[in-house]
Amino acid sequence: MARAVSNRRMAINTGVAWVLAILIFFPILWTILTSFKTEATAIADPPVFLAFDWTLENYETVQERSNYFRHFMNSVVISVGSTLIGLLIAIPAAWAMAFVPGRQTKNVLMWMLSTKMLPPVGVLVPLYLIFRDYGLLDTRIGLVIVLTLINLPIIVWMLYTYFREIPVDILEAARMDGAGLSSEVLYILTPMAVPGIASTLLLNIILAWNEAFWTLNLTAANAAPLTAFIASYSSPEGLFYAKLSAASTMAIAPILVMGWFSQRQLVRGLTFGAVK
Amino acid sequence: MATQHSRAAARFMIAPSVILLLAWMLIPLGMTLWFSFLRYNLLMPGANPFVGFENYAYFLSDPTFITSLINTLLLVGGVLIITVVGGIGLAVLLDQPMWGTGIVRIMVISPFFVMPTVSALVWKNMFMNPVNGLFAYVAEVLGVPAFDFLTQAPLASIIGIVSWQWLPFATLILLTAMQSLDSEQLEAAEMDGASALSRFWYIKLPHLARAITVVVLIQTIFLLSIFAEILVTTNGGPGVASTNLTYLVYAESLLRFDVGTGSAGGVVAIILANIVAIFLMRMIGKNLDA
Repeated sequence: MARAVSNRRMAINTGVAWVLAILIFFPILWTILTSFKTEATAIADPPVFLAFDWTLENYETVQERSNYFRHFMNSVVISVGSTLIGLLIAIPAAWAMAFVPGRQTKNVLMWMLSTKMLPPVGVLVPLYLIFRDYGLLDTRIGLVIVLTLINLPIIVWMLYTYFREIPVDILEAARMDGAGLSSEVLYILTPMAVPGIASTLLLNIILAWNEAFWTLNLTAANAAPLTAFIASYSSPEGLFYAKLSAASTMAIAPILVMGWFSQRQLVRGLTFGAVK
Repeated sequence: MATQHSRAAARFMIAPSVILLLAWMLIPLGMTLWFSFLRYNLLMPGANPFVGFENYAYFLSDPTFITSLINTLLLVGGVLIITVVGGIGLAVLLDQPMWGTGIVRIMVISPFFVMPTVSALVWKNMFMNPVNGLFAYVAEVLGVPAFDFLTQAPLASIIGIVSWQWLPFATLILLTAMQSLDSEQLEAAEMDGASALSRFWYIKLPHLARAITVVVLIQTIFLLSIFAEILVTTNGGPGVASTNLTYLVYAESLLRFDVGTGSAGGVVAIILANIVAIFLMRMIGKNLDA
C-alpha cells in the first residue's frame, strides 16, 4: 500500500508539511519559551528566540501571587471527578444497549445525543439561579455535577461504539459453559472493555479540563479551575507575557500530552462514531 | 437471545443515564421557557408578572440582536470556510509519505487541546497586541504601521483565533477519512494518467464528502456557542462589534440581570441550534443502522 515515491517528492512533502506544522504549533512553542524568559526579555524588540537566560521565576511568582496550585487542583478534581462519575453511570447503560438491544435502543441513543446539541446559553439563566439558590455557585461539587451531565451523552456514545465491537459469540460461548452474569462481566467483558473505557476516560478528561462556558459562568475565586483562572489574566496581568505564559504552559501541558495519546479516540468520540 | 429477565436488567441499567439526562434537559429548559414569558429582573425584586411575548418582541426588535445574529453567522461561516478548506489541504498533504509523520501530526493537532481562554489570551497579548505583540514586530520589520487587531477588526481576529483552535479537528477527521480511501483506486487512476489535480477532484474529494459534512455539522454546533474567546479578548466589543448570540444572552442575563429577556434570547439560540442539530442527527442516525 505504501506507494513507491521518489526521494525528491518525499523531500518536498516533508519540507512543506514541517513548515506548516511548525507554523501551526508556533503559538504554543512561543508560549512555552516565553514562560522561561524575564518580563523584559519577553517583550524585547527584536524578539529573542532561544538565546536568553532561562529562568523559572515566573512559575514561582505565579504560584506565590495567586495560589496557582489550588486552581490546578480544582481542574483536576472537576475533570477527573466528573469523568469518573460519568463512567459509573454510563458503563451499565452502554453495556445494556450494546448487548441487550431492544426496539427503543436506537431512539434512546439518538435522544441522548440530542441533549448534547442544546446550546448551553439556552439554560444559562435557570442553571445560574438554581446554583445560586442551592449554594452551588463557585463550588467544585456544582461544577462536577454540570460537567458530568453535559458530557454524559458523549461517554455513553463512545462506550457504546466500543462495546458494540466486542463479539457477542464469546459471551454466548461462555454462557453455554455455564458462566453466570457476574462472571461473564468480570472475566470476559471487563478485559475486553478496558481499552474502550480507558479511551473514553482520556477524551472526557480532556473535554472537561478545557470546558470554558460553565466554568467561567459558575465559578469565582474559590472553585475556579484553570480555564476560569487564566481568564482573570485578560487585563492588565495579561500584559506580563512571561507570567501569562508560565500560567498557560502549566494549564495546557498535561492535557497536551494526554491529547497526543488519544488522537484516534478523539475522532471517534467527537463524531459519535460517524467517522472512524 | 435476550430473555425477559435480561431485558428488565437492561432497562434498570439504562435508567440512571436516562433519568439524569431527562432531568437535565427538562427542568432548566422548562424554566427558561417559563422565564421567557415573565417580566423578571434580578435587580428589581418583587412580583414577576406574566407578559406573554413581550420579552421576545423586545429581544428580537433590539438592533443588537440583528448585529449579533449577523456576527454569529459570520463567525460560524468564517471559521468553517477556513478550517474545512485548510483541513482538506492539510489532510491531503499529511496523507502523503514523508519523514517524521508522527511529529508533524502531533504539532498540527496540538492547538485543539489548548483551553479556549489560554489560546485567546496568548493570541490577544503575545501576537495581536499593537505594541508588544509579535505581529507588531513583523509589521515594523515590513515597514507598515502596526494594526490593532482586536480594536480595528475584532470579529475577524476572533475568527482567526477560533480557526486556529478548530483547524486541527477538521484536519484530524478528514485525515482519518482519507486513510480509509482504497489506494488501489488511486493507483489505477495514476496509471491511467490522471493528473494529481483530477485525482484529488474526482476521487479524494468525493470520498471525503461525508466526513466534510460531519465536520461542518459538529463544528457548527460548537461554534454557535463560542463564548470564552469573546469574553477574554473583546468582551463583545468595541460596542457590539464582536457580540455573538451566545454572548448577547450572557450579557442580558448575567450582566444586566434581565432574566426575562435573557431567557427569550436563550430560546432563540436553542431554536437556531436545533435547525443544525436535525441535519446532524439524521446523518449520525443513518450511520447507526449501517
